[in-house]
Amino acid sequence: MTTTTVAAATEYVVQLRRISKRFGGVHALREVDLELRRGEIMGIVGDNGAGKSTLMKILSGAYVADEGEIWVNGRKVRIRNPQDSARLGIAMIYQDLALFNNFDVTKNIFIGRELTRGPMGLVLDKKRMYRETQELIRELKVDIKSPRQNVASMSGGQRQMVACARAIAFKSTILIMDEPTAALGVTEANKLLGLIRNLADKGISILLITQRIPDVLAIADRVFVLKGGERQGVLDVGKVTLDDVVTLIVRGKDRAGEAPGDVMYKSFG
Amino acid sequence: MGMDEQAQVSRSSMGRSSADGLQRHVHLGFLRKYAVVFVLLALILVFSLVSDSFFTVRNLTNIVTQNTYFIIVAVGLSFVLIAGGIDLSVGYQMSLVGVVTAMMMVLWSFPVWAAVVLGLALGTVLGLVNGLIVARIKTFPLIVTLATSVIFQGISYIVSQARTFRDFPSAFQFIAKGRLGGVPLDVWLTLLIVVVVALIYYQTKWGMRVVALGGNEEALRLAGVSTRRTKTWVYMACGFLTAVATMVMVSKANSVQSSFGPGTEFTALTAAIVGGVSFLGGEGNIPALVAGVFVLAVLGNGMQLAGWGVYAQFIVRGAILLAAVAFDEYQKSLKLRVKA
Repeated sequence: MTTTTVAAATEYVVQLRRISKRFGGVHALREVDLELRRGEIMGIVGDNGAGKSTLMKILSGAYVADEGEIWVNGRKVRIRNPQDSARLGIAMIYQDLALFNNFDVTKNIFIGRELTRGPMGLVLDKKRMYRETQELIRELKVDIKSPRQNVASMSGGQRQMVACARAIAFKSTILIMDEPTAALGVTEANKLLGLIRNLADKGISILLITQRIPDVLAIADRVFVLKGGERQGVLDVGKVTLDDVVTLIVRGKDRAGEAPGDVMYKSFG
Repeated sequence: MGMDEQAQVSRSSMGRSSADGLQRHVHLGFLRKYAVVFVLLALILVFSLVSDSFFTVRNLTNIVTQNTYFIIVAVGLSFVLIAGGIDLSVGYQMSLVGVVTAMMMVLWSFPVWAAVVLGLALGTVLGLVNGLIVARIKTFPLIVTLATSVIFQGISYIVSQARTFRDFPSAFQFIAKGRLGGVPLDVWLTLLIVVVVALIYYQTKWGMRVVALGGNEEALRLAGVSTRRTKTWVYMACGFLTAVATMVMVSKANSVQSSFGPGTEFTALTAAIVGGVSFLGGEGNIPALVAGVFVLAVLGNGMQLAGWGVYAQFIVRGAILLAAVAFDEYQKSLKLRVKA
């Protein structure tokens, strides 16, 4: 019994089991299960108010679940705050990005865990920080000219990339991204999606909240559908069409098999 | 005057800059940093033409030695400003630290070193009080330090009973009167502080976090840094340096009363803003800040020599502060446009 549990658990980097969360009288999440595999991109989709962000915030430590268990790398864990989550290698990249406009790329990446040298680590090791940032830029193949470029002068897509690079530099292995392409043009969005795919290929597991279903179909391995705080199903991207996903989002699992008619894809955000 | 200069400098730079947004951004950064140096040079040029006694060794030396303590206060205040805060209470911190230090030496016959150490400790504690209040009660530092300023004022007058203390031990007077290699000790001290603080900003993790705090407090918190602690430290550092400046001021005057110090906050604040420290935090550099102090100093000195009277200086100082803040805003809007 115990052995099967462990074996089942280690197959996944993250397992959420029967997670429930209430805000006052509102049931934001009802016994939600989620399993994320290593190096997988999982799209988290659902209409507004479906519970996508709430579920992800529970994993990132911004909220604490009322009920349910969280397993990370085969071990049951407690996540009470963002620090707990960070220690487990989980990083959430916020929509508003949390970058420092008065800093260049390197300082944005290293703030909070600066590299130092000298007695008592008194002196910033700028050389090493710039070099490591340069390496990171090359490794991730991101569209950033120089580690010294100021982020205030960057486009939305480049800023997203800096935020990702920061998470990677922090040795995060599980990334949660909240609507990363929402504010981007087509070219920029595609570049960013390329980077996300790139990260997954390096073994980083990614949860991608989005309203843009085509994005998910383009790069995700599986799609997790929420509606009214309940899990509607997990679809393999290779085996479904846009219509299948949208139908599940709009009608939910109980009515998904019905004949089409009232469901249309309306550019979702 | 100052306004014209700054406007001209910025226009000409705009004209030169290439169409490339990044390049223009770099240009702006450079301009932002060193516009004040051009303003200073222009002022020196103008007053040299207006008055024969301005550009003399004696007068220029005076300008430097009369402003060492303003530089020290401005450098201390820069921590708070760059971290996105403000400290209006530095003037009355000086008042309180000044009279208490003087009383320890004159009334209670403390050894000079003990009076100085305790005075510096008192200043640090006053900064700590500001820091704790600002960090705990998340409210506007402008109001908090306005309130503590009035409180420090009250305490200073109660403690001193509005008396004047003078004729300090010679060891204390030595701070301002002593010389090393022909240069006054307080000038060396100021130089040391300027260099050390500049190194803190450019070369230490703590300095980087201070700048980060002024740039995006929430992001710094998310990066796992205690913003409360950083804030508290910043006000403490300001209090400590303000106390150091107080020692220099009191030693120089060889006399002190509770009305010594107030007003310094305005000069230091103006100098910092003129020197390119952003009022909104996150930006500033120490060499330009020092130049900012000298802009005000040269202006005051030059206007006096040119016979413009004391009161006109107030008007010019106020106008300069306005111009500097407007310049700051103007640059921010340019940056936004470059980005878009």
